[in-house]
Amino acid sequence: MSGAADTGAGWAAARGRAARSGVWPGVLLAGAVLCLCLVLALALGPASLSLRRVWELLMAGPVQGDLDNAIFWQIRMPRVLVAALVGAALAVAGVILQDLFLNPLTDPYVTGVSSGAALGATVGIVLHLGNLPWMTVLAVAGGLGTLTLVWLAARRRGRIDIFVLLLAGVTISYLAGAVVTVLMIRADEDMHAIVYWLMGSFSGRGWGDVEVALGVLPFMAVPLLFTREMDILLQGEKRALELGVEVERTKRVLLVTAGVLTALAVSVSGIIGFVGLVVPHIVRLLAGPAHRGLLPVSLLAGASMVVAADLLSRTVISPNEIPVGVVTTFVGAPLFVYLLRRGRRL
Amino acid sequence: MSTLRPGRLLAALLLLALPALGAIVVACGSGGEPASSASPAASGPISVTDDSGVEVVLDRPAEAIVSLAPANTEIAYAIGAGDRMVAGTSYDDYPEEAKALPKIGDFANPNVEKIASFSPDLVLAASGIQDKLRAKLESLGMSVYVIDPTTYDEVVATILNVGRLAGAEDGAQAVADAMAAAREEVRAAVAGLPAASTFLEIYSEPLMTAGEGTFIDDMITIAGGENIGAAAGSGFPNFSTEVLVKVDPAVYIADSGSMSEPGDISERPGFAELTAVKQGRVYVIDDNLIARPGPRLADGLRRLLEYIHPEAQDAQ
Repeated sequence: MSGAADTGAGWAAARGRAARSGVWPGVLLAGAVLCLCLVLALALGPASLSLRRVWELLMAGPVQGDLDNAIFWQIRMPRVLVAALVGAALAVAGVILQDLFLNPLTDPYVTGVSSGAALGATVGIVLHLGNLPWMTVLAVAGGLGTLTLVWLAARRRGRIDIFVLLLAGVTISYLAGAVVTVLMIRADEDMHAIVYWLMGSFSGRGWGDVEVALGVLPFMAVPLLFTREMDILLQGEKRALELGVEVERTKRVLLVTAGVLTALAVSVSGIIGFVGLVVPHIVRLLAGPAHRGLLPVSLLAGASMVVAADLLSRTVISPNEIPVGVVTTFVGAPLFVYLLRRGRRL
Repeated sequence: MSTLRPGRLLAALLLLALPALGAIVVACGSGGEPASSASPAASGPISVTDDSGVEVVLDRPAEAIVSLAPANTEIAYAIGAGDRMVAGTSYDDYPEEAKALPKIGDFANPNVEKIASFSPDLVLAASGIQDKLRAKLESLGMSVYVIDPTTYDEVVATILNVGRLAGAEDGAQAVADAMAAAREEVRAAVAGLPAASTFLEIYSEPLMTAGEGTFIDDMITIAGGENIGAAAGSGFPNFSTEVLVKVDPAVYIADSGSMSEPGDISERPGFAELTAVKQGRVYVIDDNLIARPGPRLADGLRRLLEYIHPEAQDAQ
């Protein structure tokens, strides 16, 4: 794992620079971008409402008996909020997992959590349990269930071997994926529902989904309490132990946090790829690897990216919609390659 | 070279086995022949063009038919060719006798070996997911007729074609006449009435509708509706919820069946404000009546009339 060690050293070296320049400019800039994305996403939509009308609707609050009001408050607003929360959760989970695994290819989907959540949701679809709250309960149970399995596989003499954890996560991902495929074939009248769910979408999300998605907020705050430990862990567990970090406790808390964030996100949106992988990298390139800046900026950037992607998904070929995961990939991939080409290392 | 290596031994065995395999194939082929040569053609070969534009030729009416879609099975039974049906799909549920047919898999996963084992002389296939299957089945000596109508009248025409291939012209003509009568009855009922804007939900999450160039779109139009989904493209496109609420259809029809369960439509985000919801013009239709291109579309068409123009229904 010399590559991982190199990367860790590189991150650590860059850390001083980020710490000196302070995190507030980055956070404020990312916050401004998110505000812009939110305003655009609320102002624009396939049902064209004039800017003035949107302002009136915003001021009026939700009222009954008005179609435009229903479009704005019952359809557009909850959808945008869910997209923001899911994007933020996936980005934060991505930061945690990439840095915990010291592996730049890690995202919330290779650790088994999302596949487990997908399996839970598929069971919900096959049993026709309806959307809320059972889909959420099953998806979260599936995600945390796989995390527990992966955890048990990687535990040796009281400590977690992070590389076994990664391999076990990938393996159980495949296993859960295979079970989903079997369910799809056995219950093929539900194949449609499962396929669309796996593709990921914010179509038809309402305030009930916002309530579920709000559950990510406390969990996004957790890693902010561990920024120092996460910085030190980048230099390897041995070094962290020497510096007095409670390594096992930190890993445990962070893993569960990333697991819950991913499972909640997947439970309301299905599988939306690329955000958890790419947002942390982009933010690292722009803001440096120190977690005091990396975490909040990634949170805001993840929210911005998914809100913007969903805006494109519902407006570009209206009245059709493009699956939002397709948009995140189309927008994210070229942007990421461009930033890589600019010559700075991950 | 006194000992044979395992690889060579295997190769030798395979070579020895080949003629035996050939013999089995020949035996199977000749086994099917007496049955089909038993009734010589009365009036020369039958030739029709199927819904994918391919000419299908049979020397004599089909005697063993395999259906690869529930709608195709319904057609075969409705025209009186049920006794020629040798196998269907696991979703064949109408008429009741069809449930007892041997199964070749389902619409999305038909099993070629299983189909071949019935040695059918006619396979009634569907398009799309089954396109690749056609060449395979034809190379095995089966005639394939693809049923993929895009209008109500094309459904009627394809039923007449299947009737000729199956030697059930009279039965097919009776079904076609009944379907044409239903169409004329509905046309007459809505004559002079303004078209009512209608949204037909094929699927709820994500919201999907019937676009232009589908027989469902055609049926909505015949029944005096203006299909909102036609603006979203062809086939079965997904549809923005925002646009749906903005357009605010007068009539909302959701299909319900094995593929789709609409649930409580008024509970969906933003739907409570829809005129159709407020005026009680939300209907749930059995998808077997509008989504299967077969004889029951006549019932589906009357049902659409009842939903889209109840006043015309009352007047009759």
